[in-house]
Amino acid sequence: MNSNNQKIIINIEDSKYINWEIDLKNKLKMLKSKNLEIDSKNIDFSCTDISKIIAIAYQYNCKIIGFRSTSPKTIISSQSLGYKSEFIIESSSNNTSEINKKNLTFSKTQFHQGTVRSGEYLESLGDLLILGDVNPGAKVSAVGNIIIWGRLLGIAHAGCKGDFKATISALQLRPVQLRIAKKVARGPKEKPQLGIAELARIDSDEIIISPLETT
Amino acid sequence: METDKRVILICSGKGGVGKTTLTANLGISLARQGLTTAVLDADFGLRNLDLLLGLENRIVYTAQEVLEEECRLDQALVKHKQESNLSLLPAGNPRMLDWLKPDDMKRIVEMLKEQFNYVLIDCPAGVEDGFKNAMAASQEAIVVTNPEVSAVRDADRVIGLLNTNAIKPVQLVLNRVRPKMMANQEMLSIDDVTDILALPLLGLVLEDEQVIVSTNRGEPLTLNSVNSPAAKCYLNIAKRLQGEDIPLIDPIKESSGFGAKFRRLMQTKIF
Repeated sequence: MNSNNQKIIINIEDSKYINWEIDLKNKLKMLKSKNLEIDSKNIDFSCTDISKIIAIAYQYNCKIIGFRSTSPKTIISSQSLGYKSEFIIESSSNNTSEINKKNLTFSKTQFHQGTVRSGEYLESLGDLLILGDVNPGAKVSAVGNIIIWGRLLGIAHAGCKGDFKATISALQLRPVQLRIAKKVARGPKEKPQLGIAELARIDSDEIIISPLETT
Repeated sequence: METDKRVILICSGKGGVGKTTLTANLGISLARQGLTTAVLDADFGLRNLDLLLGLENRIVYTAQEVLEEECRLDQALVKHKQESNLSLLPAGNPRMLDWLKPDDMKRIVEMLKEQFNYVLIDCPAGVEDGFKNAMAASQEAIVVTNPEVSAVRDADRVIGLLNTNAIKPVQLVLNRVRPKMMANQEMLSIDDVTDILALPLLGLVLEDEQVIVSTNRGEPLTLNSVNSPAAKCYLNIAKRLQGEDIPLIDPIKESSGFGAKFRRLMQTKIF
């Protein structure tokens, strides 16, 4: 591939929070590379801000391929706009790291808002929460559990590192294929009853689907 | 004034679902309503928008010469013989694919935007370079699909790509709808399709044999035969595109309505 495909990481500095637009423009002026990854440190960006960044990059002929940030808000915003996003847990020397350790299981949950469409692939190092449908042809996988607030019509793989206790739950479970840990199962042939959320888990070496019960 | 200029990409992912036919008919319908319209054939590999419009023998220059600055844009534009508001910018030869960049496409569209109210881009099938070039130059998109599983799957993939490239709004046209099969549930229903794709439906186009006849003649349906069911659908789509509120036809009613019954009767009893 040619040099255009090189990835450059741009930092948006906290100290210039108010002037981040100018800061970004200045940095883009210096660059010739067209594919960028934006590191926004701990700035909270809303969806509007992210759209603004994309528009600015577009002016300078650059294309943004992803975001990384220590701010959950930025990550949720960029992810909901369909960008690859990496959540970085701050490892600074002050006591914030202590809090982060406690919330580690929480912060590892990846959150995606919007439909996951055919050909798209979503993965998470922890649990995966999707607010939207997973369409046929799409694939989602997580080291932990998968929870879909919507319809699952594609392929889901929970416990992809081998966790047999992982579960997959959705408002409508109609997948092409279900995988939990190393088990693979084809989706049920008949349509499920409407209005009942279901949960798939491993029980005595088989993947079984049962109505989701809140405990 | 800049705001009412619209650049619309017509794409589908899968081939043969009716992108080019929609582009041609939409172009004619918009031109009929007095809007200056340009149709740009972005399918450099397998161009045939000129065939559908019956303009093949009038092409002198193509988009390629415009980009290489061997001719002016208005020299390359081919005006439609009956509808003077409609112009075609033909695709160059397939070798253009080797060097064409998204920026070139943007340049052409910018030039067209200066002269026309509407620029319709007929996108090639697939999601490779041809599609990416066409996408780079457009602001909004119409996704065409048929009520069948493979077409819907490909459309879904394309919609995902359009969303990540911030193209808005994306609207849906469901092409080749057979009311009878839909009523008998032998075909994906409208709800099945819109459920998966989650897009606003811009219109339905009924299956019509006249489409084949008109393609072979090089006269888009909307030009003459206003009585053909598909032509009516195309006209409605053009009106909705401009914000007119026209209710969608109900394919199930269409198959059991008086008109359809009468037509079936004519076909069966007389011949």
